[in-house]
Amino acid sequence: MNWRTSCLLLCWLPLAAHAADIEPGKDPVPSVMWAFYHKQMLGNAPFVFDDRVKLLAPPFAEDARQVPLEIDARAFKGEVVKILAWAELNPLPKIVDFQPLDRVLPWLSIRIRIEQATPLRAAVLTRDGLWHVGSTLIDAAGGGCTAPSVVRTEPGWEEHIGEVLGGRYPRGEFSRVRLQVAHPMDNGMVSGIPEFFINHAELRDQNDQLLARLELFPAVSENPNLAFDIEGAGQTRLVLRDNSGNQFDAAIP
Amino acid sequence: MRWMLLLLFISLSLPALADLDYVLKPRQIAEDTWLLEGSTDNFAKANGGNIVNTAFIVTERGVVVIDTGPSRRYGEAMRKAIAATTDKPVIEVLLTHHHPDHVLGNQAFSDVPIGALAGTTELLHRQGDAMAENMYRLVGDWMRGTEVLLPTRTLDPGVLNFGNHDLRLLSLGGHTGADLAILDQKTGVLFAGDLVFYQRALTTPNSPGLAVWLADIATLQGLPWTLIVPGHGPVASDPQPFLQMRDYLGWLDQLMRDGAANGSDMSEMIRSPIPERFAGISLSRYELIRSVSHLYPRYERAQMTRVDSAADK
Repeated sequence: MNWRTSCLLLCWLPLAAHAADIEPGKDPVPSVMWAFYHKQMLGNAPFVFDDRVKLLAPPFAEDARQVPLEIDARAFKGEVVKILAWAELNPLPKIVDFQPLDRVLPWLSIRIRIEQATPLRAAVLTRDGLWHVGSTLIDAAGGGCTAPSVVRTEPGWEEHIGEVLGGRYPRGEFSRVRLQVAHPMDNGMVSGIPEFFINHAELRDQNDQLLARLELFPAVSENPNLAFDIEGAGQTRLVLRDNSGNQFDAAIP
Repeated sequence: MRWMLLLLFISLSLPALADLDYVLKPRQIAEDTWLLEGSTDNFAKANGGNIVNTAFIVTERGVVVIDTGPSRRYGEAMRKAIAATTDKPVIEVLLTHHHPDHVLGNQAFSDVPIGALAGTTELLHRQGDAMAENMYRLVGDWMRGTEVLLPTRTLDPGVLNFGNHDLRLLSLGGHTGADLAILDQKTGVLFAGDLVFYQRALTTPNSPGLAVWLADIATLQGLPWTLIVPGHGPVASDPQPFLQMRDYLGWLDQLMRDGAANGSDMSEMIRSPIPERFAGISLSRYELIRSVSHLYPRYERAQMTRVDSAADK
C-alpha cells in the first residue's frame, strides 16, 4: 500500500466505523461458507451484498480449467480501492487481488479453474471502507484444479514461458487491452509438480507511471488471459513476476 | 425375518428400476430402414440420454445397426426393438463418431463386429471413460452397468456391400475430427451422424473448426440422397437441414470473428443475442456457451500479436 492510499484510508476511517451498522442484506447465492470467507478474506470488515458489483460467469463450466470470469465494478468508478475474487469451494479459493489505481476502470476479465460447482465472489472495497460483494453460482462436472496440465504436454513449452500475446481494441472513451501469457500456472495439486505460477502483475503507462496492480493466485488458469479497460492514449506496459523470480515484460502499443 | 425384509426391499426397488424404460419404437422411414428418433432436448434424468437418432437397416444378410445410443440399457432396448421388428440377426454395427450418446450402447452388441473410423476408435479410447463418467452425472441410474466398449473393426471410406444394400462410407471430420457419414445407395437414405443437427443446436467439443464442418456439409449435400437422417432432430426429404446447418455455422463463425476483432471476452460472447431465425432451434443458448468455450480461444489468438520484450530478440 503506498502512502497516498494509506492517507486516504485514514481520512475515511470515521466513515468506516459508521459502516459497521450497515445491514448486509440477503446472500443472493446459497453458501455454507460465507461467514468463514467474510472473516478470512475481508477480516470481518463491514460489507453489503451488492448487485452493482456484477460478477459474470457462464451458468456452467464447459471447461473447468478455463472458466471465463468478468468482474464489473464500474458502478463504483473512482471509488474503488481494491477488488478481491475467490471461488468458495475451490481447494485453492483465491483468484485475484486487483487494484486499479489510475486510468484503469474497475473492470477485469480473467479465466480460472474450478474444482466443483461453487459460489463465486468478487468483493469491492470502496474508499469509505465498505466492501461491496458481488456473487454468482457456477455448475461444473469439476476437476479443473486437479486436471493434468495442458501446457506441459506441449513439446518445448519451457521455451515459451513468458511469451505474451496482446491486443488493444478501441471502445470510445477507453480501450480494451487483452493479454495472454504463456505460463503453466502450476497450482501444486497435480502429480507432484510444485507451485509455479505468476503471482504479481503491474500495468504501467509509457512514463512508467503505475496504472494497476494485481496479485494472482493459482486458481488462475494456465496461460492466463487478462483484459483491462484503460482510459487515455499511449502505450501500456505489462510487468509480470512468477514465484520462481522470473520477470516478464510486454508493451501493448 | 431377514428374507421378508429382503423381499420387501426388492419389491420396493423394482418399480424404481422398471420406470427406466426407453420405450423405443422403431419407425420405418424407407425400404428395410428403421429409425429410433430421440428428443432434441439436453441429457437429463427424465430422458435417460435418449436425445439421439439411431437406426438399423434390415439387409438380406442381416441387420446393420447405425449407432448404439447413450447407455447399455439403451443398447439392450434397441436390440429388443430390432428383434421385435425382424427375425434376421444383427450382423454389424457402424458407429458414426465417438460421442457418448452414439456409442455407449455398444455392450449390447459385443457379439458382432463394431465398426468405426480409426480416428473414432482413437478418440473413444482417449476420451470414453471421462465422457461415460459425465453421462452418469447427467442422467444417473439409466447408465447403470454402462462401460466403454471400443470398436472391433476399422472402417475405411468406400462401399461396403451387405447383399442387397450397398452402403457408401464417407470419412469426414467437421464435428469431431473423425465423422462417418453413410449413404445407403439402394434407398438414398443418408445417415449424416452429427455432421447434421436439425432443429437442435450443433455441438462443438471436438470440432477441428467451423470451416472444415462447412466443407463437409457441401460434400454431403452433393451426394445423391433422398432422405437425410440427422444425428439429432427430425428426418427430412428436402435440403432444409443443410441450409440450416450452413446458416448456423456461418453465423457462429462470423460472431466469433467479429467478437475477437472487437476484443470481446468469452463471458461477453456467451451473452450475444441469438438471431430470431434460430428461435426454433432447441438449446441454442446452451450450445453457444459451450461452443464459445471450445472455439473462441482460436479466434482470439488470431487477433493478437506477440507483445513481450523477448519477441524481437
